[in-house]
Amino acid sequence: MSKQLPLDELSSVIARVKGLLLTEEKVDRAVQLLAAAAKQAIPGTLGAGISLLDTQGRRTSSAATDKIVERADTAQYELGQGPCLTAWASEATILVEDVQTETRWPEWCAAMKDLPIRSVLSTPLTAGKESLGALKIYAAQPGIYDGETSRLLQLFAGPAATLLANVQSSETPRRISNSLETALYSRDTVARATGILMERHGLSSDDAMQELLSRVRTDRTTLLEECSRIIAAIPGRRG
Amino acid sequence: MGFEAHEEEQCRLLRKALKSADITPADLWLAYFSIGGAVGEYEVDAYLQGLFSLPMLQRDLLACAANELIEAVPPLPRAPYAEELEDSHDAGGTGTKNSKRNT
Repeated sequence: MSKQLPLDELSSVIARVKGLLLTEEKVDRAVQLLAAAAKQAIPGTLGAGISLLDTQGRRTSSAATDKIVERADTAQYELGQGPCLTAWASEATILVEDVQTETRWPEWCAAMKDLPIRSVLSTPLTAGKESLGALKIYAAQPGIYDGETSRLLQLFAGPAATLLANVQSSETPRRISNSLETALYSRDTVARATGILMERHGLSSDDAMQELLSRVRTDRTTLLEECSRIIAAIPGRRG
Repeated sequence: MGFEAHEEEQCRLLRKALKSADITPADLWLAYFSIGGAVGEYEVDAYLQGLFSLPMLQRDLLACAANELIEAVPPLPRAPYAEELEDSHDAGGTGTKNSKRNT
């Protein structure tokens, strides 16, 4: 049997961790760039915004190209109703031809009275089976968006969602590096205890390991506990 | 490559234990690596499928890793007997939300 450590897996774990180390800042930046690009891409658009929602529909991150979009957006999440929430929940593109004659979200439409917002188009951001949030664009005139614009925004939302799904998982690397750290610490402890037994009883490394395993079986402890005990019993500091 | 005596049986029973505890080969490998296991995940996977032979020490380390994972799972909740419930109510004053806790 080869005496090499199984480091192939470790190096791929480390590579994964490095690739995944994206900060909250990067998520916000990506969302901002996407909102700006959506505004540019669809003719007649006054402003664009993106909201990322958790599974309960709470906003985790958002970006808007303008103050107006920001206000229209915030109103939706405060009132708990609006085209983007519907787009997110129903996983369908929502087209509002004119906010002033719209009846689906009465409270939100009333709140829009003073804002120069008439047309709204909102499409869900879905990656795989996950609904990440919604992308929306607003226009100052009614009837700006139609089926054609819907299709365009959906085309835009596909790759945007894939990108965001990868940027979003900021929790993942933390979890991976925690388990890697624990694994290495434990392995190190076992190696040290094995060395102590080798020296103490004149054993080979494999025999010392077997000895540890049989102690674990008789004492009903875990290998790590047994090893920690052996190490703790060594008088370290003198005086 | 030859298989040692009992190796196949040891492997089969390990597989059975993993299956009933719902432990994936990846989880097993990480636990095995953590306690000083010397072969890679790929080889462990092949061993589990009966395609690869491992020395006794490595097999026992895998068994040890599996058992530690199995013991780490919290036991299933037990159904209480009436008497046990009475005891705990008397002692803790449950149901009155701390206001009448015995001291």
